[in-house]
Amino acid sequence: MLKGLIVLLLFQLSGEALVALTGTPIPGPVIGMLLLWLALSLKSGPSNDLSNTSQAMIQNLSLFFLPAGVGLFFLPASIQKYWPAVAAAMIAGTFISMMFSGWLVKRLARGGNSL
Amino acid sequence: MSQALEPLQSFLSNLVHTPLFGLLLTLVIYQLSLWFYDFCGRRAFVHPVAVSSATIAMVLKFSGVSYGNYVDANQLIYFLLGPTTVALAVPLYREFHHIRKLALPVVVTVVIGGVFAAASAVTIAWLMGANEQTLLSLAPKSVTTPIAIGIASNIGALPTLTTGVVVFTGVIGVLLSPVVFFLLQLRDPRLQGIVLGLNAHGVGTARSFEINPTTGAFATLAMGLTGTFTALTLPYLVTLF
Repeated sequence: MLKGLIVLLLFQLSGEALVALTGTPIPGPVIGMLLLWLALSLKSGPSNDLSNTSQAMIQNLSLFFLPAGVGLFFLPASIQKYWPAVAAAMIAGTFISMMFSGWLVKRLARGGNSL
Repeated sequence: MSQALEPLQSFLSNLVHTPLFGLLLTLVIYQLSLWFYDFCGRRAFVHPVAVSSATIAMVLKFSGVSYGNYVDANQLIYFLLGPTTVALAVPLYREFHHIRKLALPVVVTVVIGGVFAAASAVTIAWLMGANEQTLLSLAPKSVTTPIAIGIASNIGALPTLTTGVVVFTGVIGVLLSPVVFFLLQLRDPRLQGIVLGLNAHGVGTARSFEINPTTGAFATLAMGLTGTFTALTLPYLVTLF
């Protein structure tokens, strides 16, 4: 668990360092993920420890979004009057967008390689 | 009698302002919501993030704790999003042989679908008369939280609104997914993962890992690509308007 966590944090740190050096708008953790992916491909696979730590963290991914989600109930008054527009954009917008991307990917993936 | 209770009262009124209270509140409510989610057969409409964030908001309002205090208490939980994003490299590596076969459709869908996700949300809110700051805050709604916060501060949006909208977009995406998959007759677990990762980012990815590991890996890939692509293009697109 500990070794796995150290590896993850070190890759996050490398990601943050690259962001600071290049000024890219991509966040450090995402660059860290790409670097770790690259490292895993080079050394052909994660250690047991890293694999277990990663799995435990990914299982609780939803939990880590929780403090941010609570924020939606504490919006400043200047924004609160647009609440119906925000709700419509989230519900109708997400539905339309999912239908579109689902239709698109189904169309593009057609022609062979089914699972 | 009332004198004996006094230390207890002052202990309780101080307690609600400590990190211990905020952190414990998040973990306990989330665990209860997980049990409730399992109890209801893991149906999307009782998604633990939706149930627990509404419950926590109610507790905060009743106990008089400000949202700022609560967030400060939960810095640790919030921080763990970072290393967990890095950890997604492991399933991505494991499922790469599946991903390689679908690389082109995935990339094309992410680029077109990512623009569509932002445009549809902004258009709907604009038609309903939302102001500029609200529109800007909605644009990164399908992008995973750590990226969305970065984009929000880049384009002058309101970070609290953006993160809240992002998390609830994820929950709504998971909630709508059975309907969408049925309407489109989309049964391929890989394609389901792409739709969930593209539109519902981390919350959709967490749901995808419940479907199966391949779905989860495709969701991870779609989430990462959507986030990266949006982070690279949105700050420039916004200046056009």
